[in-house]
Amino acid sequence: MLKRIVLLLLFFPVLLFAYASPGKPAGFVNDFASVLSGQDKTDIEAKLSQFEKDSSNELSVVIIKSLNGDTIENYAVNLFSEWGIGKEGKDNGILLLIAIDDRKMRIEVGYGLEGALTDIQSDLIINNTLKPAFQQADFYGGINRATADIISATKGEYAAPTDIGTRALYGMDLPNILFYGFFIVIWLTSILARSKSWWAGGVIGGLIGVVASLLLGFFYTGLISLILFIPFGLLLDFLVSRAYQKGVATGYYPWWIGGGPHDGGWGGGGFGGFGGGHSGGGGSSGDW
Amino acid sequence: MKKYIIWGLVVVAVLAAFYLFGAYNNLISNSEAVDNKWAQVETQYQRRFDLIPNVVKTVKGFASQEQTIFADIADARTRYSGASNTEDKVKAANQVESALGRLLVIAENYPDLKSSQLFTDLNVELEGAENRISVERSRFNDAVTKYNLATKRFPSSLVASYFGFEEKDYFQSVDGSENAVPVNF
Repeated sequence: MLKRIVLLLLFFPVLLFAYASPGKPAGFVNDFASVLSGQDKTDIEAKLSQFEKDSSNELSVVIIKSLNGDTIENYAVNLFSEWGIGKEGKDNGILLLIAIDDRKMRIEVGYGLEGALTDIQSDLIINNTLKPAFQQADFYGGINRATADIISATKGEYAAPTDIGTRALYGMDLPNILFYGFFIVIWLTSILARSKSWWAGGVIGGLIGVVASLLLGFFYTGLISLILFIPFGLLLDFLVSRAYQKGVATGYYPWWIGGGPHDGGWGGGGFGGFGGGHSGGGGSSGDW
Repeated sequence: MKKYIIWGLVVVAVLAAFYLFGAYNNLISNSEAVDNKWAQVETQYQRRFDLIPNVVKTVKGFASQEQTIFADIADARTRYSGASNTEDKVKAANQVESALGRLLVIAENYPDLKSSQLFTDLNVELEGAENRISVERSRFNDAVTKYNLATKRFPSSLVASYFGFEEKDYFQSVDGSENAVPVNF
């Protein structure tokens, strides 16, 4: 530990680290080194998922085979920010990272939980819970007890979110934008289909392009969206108008024209990804 | 014919204005991001400074004869609090770093100190502080890279020079630290 502090003090930023992403998260537990059995994994996953429901805190366990020459601290902070563990704005994520071949582990704590799970507490969990278990190659036992320790350390710091519905526009994540975007498109198609004109779609497309580029604030984006949206709008208008005419003739209206029955739910179940939280190097590391 | 030329000019003017707003706002956001990241670095420096008196006190309890190093640390801290601009702050912080590094190397010579619980806990905290500093510094450098690219790339470089957006400095390492000194533990 002393050695690491001295290295940080004297040799930053000469040390260049190479972080390589392990891939996308498949749940709260991500075992890229295959050390947990299916049952063990399900057990811990259920516990962490319940923890997220109760407290909104996102605790992720990631087991990788090797750091490939990176330091565990650098790997942890990069993985944390890539996956965005914790809720956006609350930064209430925790990452328990274990590198099997390097025999190293780290608890990386999001900004919002640094007060609840201090560096000293993380260090204690690593040295008193994880280390002895890992030395016996008992990965499940160690992780199971350590996650329980982490959960009890964080209890009470964050209540379940009560501010749903008051989020600002930029708080919207991609699924939400797609969700609303879908309804806007349906609404537009139903109007365009009924309108007599063939050019209104192009004008609406152009307007959407201008608004999108103003929001995004970039010239190129603006130009590209104009180029994309105008022909798209024209094409859409043409297609839906024709389909509507056909619908008038045959009495059958395609579902996207609106007014017809809607079916199908929106996903549900499964792991929806992390919330977009941040960390800044809080927590502690250890080895076994 | 004349009508088309006027329309063409209007379109070009609109596009140019469009671009100007975008480029200017982009530069402003990037510049704000750099300042914001620097504030984060300073927050973490403060965390380190808050720890130093405890570390010094603990080491003094076991190694009171190492007077020079204590004086160096005190001196560097005073300089940091007296620094008014970023450049001086970075210099003073680098000085704190090298003094603190030496203090920890000295601590290696005192087995009683090393095995004390207080010192172990302080080291955990210090490691956390140093790790946070290193994270925030590299994020600061990333923000500077992004900002500098925006000021240098054509054509936003024209907007940058017109509105006086100057290139910002990266966080530099301590002079001489690139000649890695072997540390034996």
